[in-house]
Amino acid sequence: MKRRLAFLLLWLVLLDQGVPPLLEHLERKHYEGTTTFRFANSDLFALGPLVDYLRAHPRHDSRRVVFFGNSMIFGYFLDAEDAIPAQFQKLRPDLRVYNAGVNGQEIGTSYVVAKDIIDSVDVLYVQVVGVNANPMLPAMLPVGDDDLRRFHLTPPDRVEHALQSRLGRVWHLYGLNDRLQAALFGTSTRVFIYMHKTDVLRALRAAPPARSWPPIRDHISVRAPRKAGPVRNATEQQKIKNDLAALARAHGKRVVFVEFEWTNNGDDDEVAAFNAAYAPFAETVIVHVPPDVTFDGQHPMPASAAQIAQALVPYGAAR
Amino acid sequence: MIFTDLRFVALFLGCWISFAVLPKRFRAAVLTFWGAAFYAVYAGPFFAVVLLLALLTFFRRMGWLAAIATVALLAYFKADTTSVLVPLGFSYLAFELLHVVAERRRGRIESLSLIDLLAFIFFAPARIAGPIKRYPDFVAAVRDAEPSSENVYRGLLRILFGFAKKFFLADVLALTVAESAYVATAKQAWIVVFAFALRIWLDFSAYSDIAIGLGRTLGIVLPENFRAPYLARNIRDFWERWHITLSHWVRDYVFTPLGRSMFRTPLRNTPVIIAVVSYLVTFAVVGAWHGLTPAFLIWGVYHGVLLSLYHVIRLKTPARIADHPWYGSRAARVASIAITFFAVAVGWVPFMLPLPKAAKMLALMFGVAR
Repeated sequence: MKRRLAFLLLWLVLLDQGVPPLLEHLERKHYEGTTTFRFANSDLFALGPLVDYLRAHPRHDSRRVVFFGNSMIFGYFLDAEDAIPAQFQKLRPDLRVYNAGVNGQEIGTSYVVAKDIIDSVDVLYVQVVGVNANPMLPAMLPVGDDDLRRFHLTPPDRVEHALQSRLGRVWHLYGLNDRLQAALFGTSTRVFIYMHKTDVLRALRAAPPARSWPPIRDHISVRAPRKAGPVRNATEQQKIKNDLAALARAHGKRVVFVEFEWTNNGDDDEVAAFNAAYAPFAETVIVHVPPDVTFDGQHPMPASAAQIAQALVPYGAAR
Repeated sequence: MIFTDLRFVALFLGCWISFAVLPKRFRAAVLTFWGAAFYAVYAGPFFAVVLLLALLTFFRRMGWLAAIATVALLAYFKADTTSVLVPLGFSYLAFELLHVVAERRRGRIESLSLIDLLAFIFFAPARIAGPIKRYPDFVAAVRDAEPSSENVYRGLLRILFGFAKKFFLADVLALTVAESAYVATAKQAWIVVFAFALRIWLDFSAYSDIAIGLGRTLGIVLPENFRAPYLARNIRDFWERWHITLSHWVRDYVFTPLGRSMFRTPLRNTPVIIAVVSYLVTFAVVGAWHGLTPAFLIWGVYHGVLLSLYHVIRLKTPARIADHPWYGSRAARVASIAITFFAVAVGWVPFMLPLPKAAKMLALMFGVAR
């Protein structure tokens, strides 16, 4: 029995040495492959591994563009290749576009994550929605004390966190298991099994007909006014935008804030002043989305997602 | 999950090394030390409450006070109140304390060592979700334990098995159960309910596997808690296979004493009534043990009703029918397993949902929803 235990231990140790190169291979394929990148499931699990990958590989061949936002950016109701970021990728195949949208994600999360990856990307498209940061963020990525306080986040237990870091450095399978799952499945193993639980049955049935969408009659419109004036910093959302814009400026990057509107609000002075103050590092683009081009009054159909992507492309470069 | 916390792993490793290295006479002290450390880390100030209860239990003359305090605290935490205290595994701990008080009163535990009692109470692997231990068996198991390589290997395999059940089966099924918020058809409702039935078994038995596996690495044999419950052929068989340590506890400390006391009354002429009352009360206690809410109580009483019905049907069925060879056939076996599973699965509905939602779910399942 001692021999069996020793053999098991040896096998685990040897297997563990293969984990980092295996992960490198899987992550390159997953994050740099030619297919559209989107989280396999719109949950936060894969966000941490994406951040880890981008931080571990700051240098890249193509310019990196990352989209943050909620279900509108993720592409709720849509296949991955029909979502706004994927449509953007089709128009700009020279770029590497990451759809980091997650249902319900607010600008607080985008801000915290952007701080971690700012040196590894070139352009951020950040949907302006809400103010909160997801309470699970501290368990997934390093979050500074200021941001913990600002967003009322609870830090992970220090002792447990320290133990996990130390063990993760020695036992690769333990330390890298989230990244392995994300690279293999695009999400956690349990969600992957759940999502594909009926695939065996589906494989036995005839392929379902391809989805088709009715043509849209209306058209989205965009505007990005620019006029010098006092930059507002009153609401939490404005503060987060200003801080993110300042971050982009400090690191020589560009962030494009995307504000979706469904009715004509009329007041563009705030946006104009912001755009004038932070050019060329940050710009707010207002995207008007008529309800007719959406599924439910909010989420764009494929054709309108394509229009939005096309409208956003020019703003990726400094103006 | 506490079992995957590295603090727990570190504490248990410290326990294992001390247990294996130090002389046998120090074993109880080792288990007490590390178990108390575990409980203090995870339960914080509540550790002091449990220590006080243990001391009250230790002093024979304070046994009655220990029992009252334990039951009162258990009722308090089960009544769905928010509390600053973290009563870690208190449901299981309370029943273990009450067992010691009861057995001492019955004279079955003659000498009680404080260090053995503390080791019994704070034994970390079983402190989170059972199994509910028995003091004499535990003390004997500790005395006879051998943390050999064979036990470590078998224990590790059991632990791995538990983790695999939890992460690859139970947690996946939990995602199907989460669909309960969106069910709109009878088919969807039944799928969710069956998924819950499987999930709760896999999840709970996984915890037991890990606890038993951890004990096994020390060479300490803990009681089994599950024995293929969904292969039960009737509801009584189900409760001999499901959460075995709980069903044996309520049998020994609620059902049997209640039945015996009723036999000393005029009810002794109607043993069927005694059995029915005993089942109903016992399983109301089982429901309350899970939570002092209407939903859990209804679940408990539902099982009490099923057991009562089974008892009455068995009694009243004529022998020529009950002894028919068909009941020994494979078809009868399959049918009885299916019927038992169906009855148990329906019972899970108030267990998994608050009452108003449970009622809607049941209405949908049986096609009476509007």
